[in-house]
Amino acid sequence: MSSQTIAEKKDTDSVEIPRDIPEGWSPTILAFACHYCAFAAADLAGVMRLSYETNVKIIRLPCTGKLDHIYVMRAFERGADGVFAAG
Amino acid sequence: MSNTLEKKKRGSVVIVGGGIGGMQASLDLADSGLKVHMIQKESSIGGIMATLDKTFPTGDCSMCMISPKMVEVGRHQNIDIHILSEIVSVEGEAGDFTVTVKKQPSYVDPEKCTGCGVCEEKCPRLVPSEFEQGLAKRKSIHSLFPQAVPDTRVIDPNNCLFLTRERCKACEKFCQAGAINFEDKEKIFEIKTGAVILSPGLKKYDPSIRPELGFGRWPNVVTSLQFERILSASGPNMGVVKRPSDNKHPSKVAWIQCVGSRDSNNANPWCSSVCCMYATKQAVIAKEHDNDINPTIFYMEMRAYGKDFDKYVDRAKNEYSVDYRRAMISSIHEEAGTNNLILRYTSENGSMVDEVFDMAVLSVGLEPHLDAEDFAKRAGIEKNKYNFAKTDHFNPVDTSRPGVYVTGIYQGPKDIPETVTQGSAVAGKAMALLGESRGTEITVKELPEEKDISKDEARIGVIVCHCGINISQTVDVEKTAAEARGCENVVHAEDLIYACAPDGQEKIKKLIKEKNLNRVVVASCTPRTHQPLFQETIREAGLNKYLFELADIREQCSWCHMGQNEDATEKAIDIVKANIAKVRNFEPIVTDSVPVTPVAMIIGGGVAGLCSAVSLADQGYEVHVVEKEEKIGGLAHHVYQTLDGSDVQVYLKQLIAAAEDHEKIKLHLNTEVDNTKGFVGNFNTTLKNNTSFEHGAILITTGGVEYKPDEYGYDTHEKIITQRALEKNIHDHLPRKGEHYVMIQCVGSREEPNNYCSRVCCQDAIKNAIQIRETSPDTQVTILYRDIRTYGLREDYYSKARELGVFFSRFEPDRKPEVDSSGSLIKIKTFDHIIQREIEFTADYLILSTGLRPHPTTDSIGEKYKLTRNPDGFFLEAHVKLRPVDFPSEGIYVAGLAHAPKNLDETINQALAASGRAGALLSHDRLGVSGIIAKHDRDLCMSCLACFRVCPFESPFIDEDGKVSHNEVKCTGCGICAGICPAHAFQVNNFRDDQVIAMIDSLTADILE
Repeated sequence: MSSQTIAEKKDTDSVEIPRDIPEGWSPTILAFACHYCAFAAADLAGVMRLSYETNVKIIRLPCTGKLDHIYVMRAFERGADGVFAAG
Repeated sequence: MSNTLEKKKRGSVVIVGGGIGGMQASLDLADSGLKVHMIQKESSIGGIMATLDKTFPTGDCSMCMISPKMVEVGRHQNIDIHILSEIVSVEGEAGDFTVTVKKQPSYVDPEKCTGCGVCEEKCPRLVPSEFEQGLAKRKSIHSLFPQAVPDTRVIDPNNCLFLTRERCKACEKFCQAGAINFEDKEKIFEIKTGAVILSPGLKKYDPSIRPELGFGRWPNVVTSLQFERILSASGPNMGVVKRPSDNKHPSKVAWIQCVGSRDSNNANPWCSSVCCMYATKQAVIAKEHDNDINPTIFYMEMRAYGKDFDKYVDRAKNEYSVDYRRAMISSIHEEAGTNNLILRYTSENGSMVDEVFDMAVLSVGLEPHLDAEDFAKRAGIEKNKYNFAKTDHFNPVDTSRPGVYVTGIYQGPKDIPETVTQGSAVAGKAMALLGESRGTEITVKELPEEKDISKDEARIGVIVCHCGINISQTVDVEKTAAEARGCENVVHAEDLIYACAPDGQEKIKKLIKEKNLNRVVVASCTPRTHQPLFQETIREAGLNKYLFELADIREQCSWCHMGQNEDATEKAIDIVKANIAKVRNFEPIVTDSVPVTPVAMIIGGGVAGLCSAVSLADQGYEVHVVEKEEKIGGLAHHVYQTLDGSDVQVYLKQLIAAAEDHEKIKLHLNTEVDNTKGFVGNFNTTLKNNTSFEHGAILITTGGVEYKPDEYGYDTHEKIITQRALEKNIHDHLPRKGEHYVMIQCVGSREEPNNYCSRVCCQDAIKNAIQIRETSPDTQVTILYRDIRTYGLREDYYSKARELGVFFSRFEPDRKPEVDSSGSLIKIKTFDHIIQREIEFTADYLILSTGLRPHPTTDSIGEKYKLTRNPDGFFLEAHVKLRPVDFPSEGIYVAGLAHAPKNLDETINQALAASGRAGALLSHDRLGVSGIIAKHDRDLCMSCLACFRVCPFESPFIDEDGKVSHNEVKCTGCGICAGICPAHAFQVNNFRDDQVIAMIDSLTADILE
């Protein structure tokens, strides 16, 4: 969303006004990963000692096709900053 | 079948070699109730396929495909893997062999080793890694590659500091499982077995034999296998294409084909069958990794003979700008100061060219492994002149010794799907030999009755594993356990050094009993490898095995957050809590099973169908063969001999007699299938003649038809005929002295609208040409071709034809030969590429090499059983590499021309494979339904058919009452139905919405505070 559209919508109550990112804040990211590929890839990343941020938490699904939109909504509703679906 | 005493046969099989062929055979056999002993020379199974980066045409990661299979083999209770082992001798006879095995010491006790890998970290000795083709280092104590099976380390005695110089012992000091044993000795032991399968794999040609190519001298000349590792995301460059000399990104990369192949001087005379396609794949993948790469492939002939191969080469040319040049490289030199390479070759117009490349990849060929000659002696079998195992055309997996079978490259160069096919084929053979002894040598575990926990509140136990120091050096495991203790319903939590070691598992069992636990979470490594182990453990303690969850805090936490101990511990706590939240909602899962009708139906009575029928009947199953025509035998009735001179008609007669005389085979001629109802294990078919029968498996062997040409004046002249007609004429009266036979290849093949190679025509042409020249040396034979595709050991006959004076002239598809058939003699004009001018022939006979087409019934059968076809109309298998004779729908298999054009021996391979796969299925009294499947709630279902449309396995169906029902036998638990169902009527066991949402809520609990 461009800055202009945010500015235009500032008056609307339903839209949250972007806040400044507080010092030391880090996002919470939920990843939904297919057991057979993305979850396996996350395992391989570990085996190869590849490093990434600790704020990514993986939820294993039998297939990314199992990803229900409700899971994504629920995650955002509860304050997750990002959802990553991989499969 | 027995000829001497009716002796009880043994119910086990020894498989020598743990590559993909051996693995396929072992899984098919073990699933059918035979015990398997796998003898593997290396410290892990996996073979050559494990070293590959990706496979074409899909670009799937090779390791991702093979590693679940490796885990399956490693965990199968009917398979014992003996690593670092070789066979010394094979005594006895079919049904009762004694195999002597020599096992090298590994210096690590596999019973105690947990595979944690601390020893490897601490080992100070670095040596070049064989697995990485020398491009990276490994330790002296090592596993072959990270996904190795069995997951144990071994010590390389030639490089171990203690074993060579009596210093160090770091591994012993740091191994908290006490698994290191420097006293380990070579062991020799015997295995009694019913059959032996040889799949020892291959050796690659050593290109340093050809110094002019500069391998070993110029750092930027690498072998194709090295390039696989360079491409691999888990390889030394982590998938970034860099050249060895200076780690620069190469721009111009050359592939040089036929290094070590198709050359009798300092190399092998045969064609290695796979290099054209792997070079094409590497060029495509390299381009995908780095778009600045300009690949050039130098080749003699593009042998893209397999199913959909030509399409892949076309894609490489058109979409990836791969430059194919028909030229052989005579030498490679390094350019002074740049490490670039100067490749010298003769271009198509005959001039000598020096061209500079950044890097060169040598497409090295395949050969029998190093000690193949001695190996044949030890196995007591005959070898052919090139040291491959000797087999005959009609029995492609039988060695000279009954009861000893061969699969994979030891039988001749071949690719992955053909190796997998032969893997199932040898399994089918061994099942036919040992069918009566099924189940006699396998062990069935006695389990206590399952405790009823349905009325109890959740009592969760949590074990946090140190994994030696793998987890505990980064994650505070005590703190993690303490946090778990504070969670609702958790009645016990503690940390263990190794949860997966035998003592760790005993401890878990004890805790379940003492603390009356009814759900268990283990926080350690990945569920992909260790979940089944812990599930078994809790089952042994009387809990339903699905009341378990594994929280991955090693691969997905400690290993990727090293040095960030505090954050990693927080993450580990979050992961454990999320899994506690999930497991709290778990319920016991009762798995169902359905009976299996031990009968097969085969549609199509050609060689493929008959061969499958005889094999299945020999295995002890009843078989129904449905043939549309009035006689069985199919296309083979028109083939008189094979390329190697074997008599097809004699074979066909025997095969037909075997099928007709077999008491278990019922032939239904002059009829077709009217309808089939049911599902895997439980089909019911009614034929158009109103016969109906029950059966458990379906084999589709509907064959193909020969193309009737309208090109080159066919039908305008009686002496313009097809290869098949020529073959009959040769059989009857031809050739006559002085005649000139001109053959044109690829008639109706390899161009739109039939842009595929028919695979058999080059050999047909060469076979007939050899026959003509041998029968009557006064004749003249000319073959006009695009590429001669005599792959594998068939190359010998191409050489022989040239020696016999058969004249070959190549044409391009945009300048095809022109035929004038107006006179009594036929005139043919063509442009010859070697002399770069048009030449003209006068022929007595013009022979058109016409290809093969799918059988006209393919579409209707495909629609009946919902089986997909490829763009050319042939049936599409479940997976082009690893499931070459399966359909995605369980219980249906394919073999022969119905799958793609192929030679007779390849059809026989596939037919045996299909019967091996079907035999393994039919051997079960009942088929177990998996626990992790979608459960369907009819009360919630609105029958909107969303599931019906998306399910790849066709498990939802419209029931008799018009509403949707769900066939759980077909369900694989992918949950696509659950994801799409607007009513949430589908819930996948252990991935139910409430369970996944509990995880989401747990992982977001801190944010809302």
